[in-house]
Amino acid sequence: MFDYDPTRIGERSAPRSHEIEKGAIRRFAEALGEKNSIYFDEKEARAAGFPGLPAPPTFPFTLPPHPIPGVRLPQAGIIHGEQEFIYGRPICAGDIITVSAWLDNVKVRQGHLGSMTILTIMRDGLHQNGDIAFQSRSIVIVTEEVQRDVEA
Amino acid sequence: MWKPKDILGPETILITREQIVRYAGASGDYNPIHYDEEQARRFGLPGVIAHGMLNMGLAARFLETQSPPGARFQRYTVRFRQMVRPNQRLIISGIVKSVQNEGDIFHAAIDVVMQIENGDAVITGQAVMTVPIKTAKS
Repeated sequence: MFDYDPTRIGERSAPRSHEIEKGAIRRFAEALGEKNSIYFDEKEARAAGFPGLPAPPTFPFTLPPHPIPGVRLPQAGIIHGEQEFIYGRPICAGDIITVSAWLDNVKVRQGHLGSMTILTIMRDGLHQNGDIAFQSRSIVIVTEEVQRDVEA
Repeated sequence: MWKPKDILGPETILITREQIVRYAGASGDYNPIHYDEEQARRFGLPGVIAHGMLNMGLAARFLETQSPPGARFQRYTVRFRQMVRPNQRLIISGIVKSVQNEGDIFHAAIDVVMQIENGDAVITGQAVMTVPIKTAKS
């Protein structure tokens, strides 16, 4: 079976703070082929109403949380099934964002790859004054094959 | 400003091995299935694949390019349906589902799909974007 402690569903990971760097935003935007100058030029970002270079919409996923209590995820081979972000106050260069994650739900299904464990993992990120920067919901799938690998 | 049933795109892109490696570096996701052929096959994959989050990011970039000035994401959801291999050509398109006026902003709901050229959907998703009415008019 997938390795988690059902009594700890909903328990949040210890908060982890990330300093948002200009270079990280630029590199991320560049990797996605962004041409929009608000991601590269601070004057353009300010003209668009941001206090610094804003983070592209999927950037929050690059801010890892601390491990989720009671959950052991394999290093590789998990399948990302679904991803949702809800945005609060924009994340900009210079911000400090504190991220935490928790396991929300676990389901086991029989599929063509054998049994699959489907996890719903929630994550949120807060600004220093407590304003919500983002909320994230991820559905990840662990197949039987990968589970065997973890146990080995 | 957008109206319901407006079509966005399509835009054709090519995902290269270089882009996958760049994304690994920029996102900090060094899962070997994205750069190591042998390890990828060990996990039952046909070879290295693009990060799902790269595909989601490219679709977000597409939506931004298609948006009126000042548009911001309020909510963005995708379902990952298919793996993308290096050198696959992808087509991204969208359709405006609804537009609502609320105070001095519009909320627009948009469906987006990224598909392999002549093939299956890679991701399907929905975005809700806000657009300030002032810029929407100009």
